[in-house]
Amino acid sequence: MTGELATLLLCDGRLPVGAYTYSAGLEPAVAAGLTRDQVPGLLRARLRTVSVTEAAAAVLALRAGLRDPVDHAPVQAALAARTPTAPLREASAALGRGVHRLARRLAADHPAVAALEHAAVPGTAPARPLRPIVTGALAAALGVGEAALARTVLYDDLQTVTSAALKLLPGDPLDAVAWILACEPQLEAAVAESRAVTSADSLPARSAPLTEQWALEHPHNERRLFLA
Amino acid sequence: MPDSPLLPSDAHASSAHSAHTSSPQSTHAHGAHPPTRRALRVGVAGPVGTGKSSILATLCGQLADSLAMAVVTNDIYTDEDARFLRSAGVLPTDRIHAVETGACPHTAIRDDISANLDAVEDLEAAHGPLDVVLVESGGDNLTATFSPALVDAQIFCLDVAGGGDVARKGGPGIRGADLLVVNKTDLAPYVGVDVTRMVADARGARDERPVLALSKNDPDSVAELADWLRDTLARHRAGTLVPRDPGPMAPHSHPHPRP
Ligand SMILES: Nc1nc2c(ncn2[C@@H]2O[C@H](COP(=O)(O)OP(=O)(O)OP(=O)(O)O)[C@@H](O)[C@H]2O)c(=O)[nH]1
Ligand SMILES: [Mg+2]
Repeated sequence: MTGELATLLLCDGRLPVGAYTYSAGLEPAVAAGLTRDQVPGLLRARLRTVSVTEAAAAVLALRAGLRDPVDHAPVQAALAARTPTAPLREASAALGRGVHRLARRLAADHPAVAALEHAAVPGTAPARPLRPIVTGALAAALGVGEAALARTVLYDDLQTVTSAALKLLPGDPLDAVAWILACEPQLEAAVAESRAVTSADSLPARSAPLTEQWALEHPHNERRLFLA
Repeated sequence: MPDSPLLPSDAHASSAHSAHTSSPQSTHAHGAHPPTRRALRVGVAGPVGTGKSSILATLCGQLADSLAMAVVTNDIYTDEDARFLRSAGVLPTDRIHAVETGACPHTAIRDDISANLDAVEDLEAAHGPLDVVLVESGGDNLTATFSPALVDAQIFCLDVAGGGDVARKGGPGIRGADLLVVNKTDLAPYVGVDVTRMVADARGARDERPVLALSKNDPDSVAELADWLRDTLARHRAGTLVPRDPGPMAPHSHPHPRP
C-alpha cells in the first residue's frame, strides 16, 4: 500500500464522514460580519493558526500510530488544550466521530485505530478523540505519509471554508478554486512547519481569538446551517 | 394482528412468530436479519409542508405510552421541527435531537448519513434500550429517500394540497417507500382533489406496497398508521424486516426517437 489512493480519498469532500455539516468557522464569521472579499484573508489566517495546529497534531498522531504500543492520549490532550473554546472542541470531536466510524470499517484491527478507543482522557471533555487524532490514526493504517497527511488536513480546511462560502456568500464557484490555489505558499509553509514538530509539548498553540469568540456565539444562532 | 390492507403479504405470517421461537431466516428468501433488540429506525420523507412532523407527533402520541421512542429531525435551516415536536408535548424534550445538515438535507439522509447515525446512537446510549427511533428528513423534493444503512423502513408523505397529480409523477419515494401516505385528506374538498383517485394512482405506481389516506383529524386513519408501525416493529424484532432502498429515479419509459 503506497497510501497515494488513500491520500486522495482523505481529501475528497465526498468522503462520507459528515464533514459537509461543518463550515470551518465561516458561518460564525459571516454572522459576525465577514464579507465575501475577506474570505481569502480568512483562509490565510486559518492556515497560520488553527489549521497548522491541527495538521501538526495529525502528524504527531500518525507517528504515534506507528509506534508500539500506540498512545494517542498525549497529542489529544495537547490539542484539546490548544482549542480553548468548548464548541470547537465539540465540533472537532463530532467530526472525528465520522472519521472514526470510517476507520473502524476500513482498519478496525490496526493498532493505531484500535488505540483511538483510549485517546480521550477519562473524565475530561470531549469524551471522543479530536478529528486530527483520528485522521492521523487512519493515515497510519492506510500508509499515508506525513507530508501528504498534513497537506490533506490543511487543504480540507480550505475546501470546507470555500464550499460553505458557496452557500453563505454565494458567487462564482470558480473564484473559490482560485482562492485555494493562491494559498499554496502559505499551505506548503504550514506543511513544513507541521512536520517539524517533534513532540506533543511543542505542538504550536495558535488559536485565533476572533475564531474562538465567533464559535462561542454560533450555538445561539437559531438560523444556523452548520455545526461550527 | 388486525387484518389491515396496509400490511404486506408476508407480514401476517412472519409477525406471528416471536423472536424467541422461530428462525425466520430459514423461510425468508433474501438474507433476513437475525432477531435484534436494536431500536427499529423509521424514516419519514416527503416534500416541504406535507405533514412529516405531524406524522411523527401523531405516532408518538399514539404509541409513546407503550413503546420507548425517540426522534431525530433534519431541518434545512433551523431546529424548527424539533421545537414543533418538543412543544407538541408527545415526548420528553431530551428524546428529540435536531441535526445540522449544512444545507444538504438530501445528503444527510442518503449519501453521507454520519450526522444522523451519531444522533441515533446518542439517543440509544442516553435513553436505551429504545423500541423505535423516528427520523424526519428535511422537506425536500420527490427524489429524496433514506439510505437503508440509516433506516429499517421508510414512509414517504404527500399531501392532497400539493395536487392530485403528484402521486402519478412517481419517483423513488412514491414508488418504493415501505408506506406511502397521502396526507391531509380532510382538505381534499377545499383543494378540489379526488382522494380515491389519488390513492388509486399511487397504488398503480407501487405494485403491492401499501398506501394510506391519512388525516390527523380522522381517528380511523390514525389507527391504521399506528398499526403499520406496530407491525413493522414486530417484523423488525422477528428479523424478517429487510431494509430496502427505494432506489434511484424510476427509468422513464417513453420511446426516444432514434437519430
Ligand atoms: N388539515 C390538515 N392539516 C395538516 C394535517 N397534517 C399536517 N397538517 C398541517 O400542515 C402543516 C405542515 O405540517 P408539518 O407537519 O409541519 O409538515 P412537514 O412536512 O413536517 O413540514 P417541513 O418539515 O417544513 O417540511 C401544518 O400547519 C400542519 O398543522 C392534516 O392531516 N390535516
Ligand atoms: Mg417538519
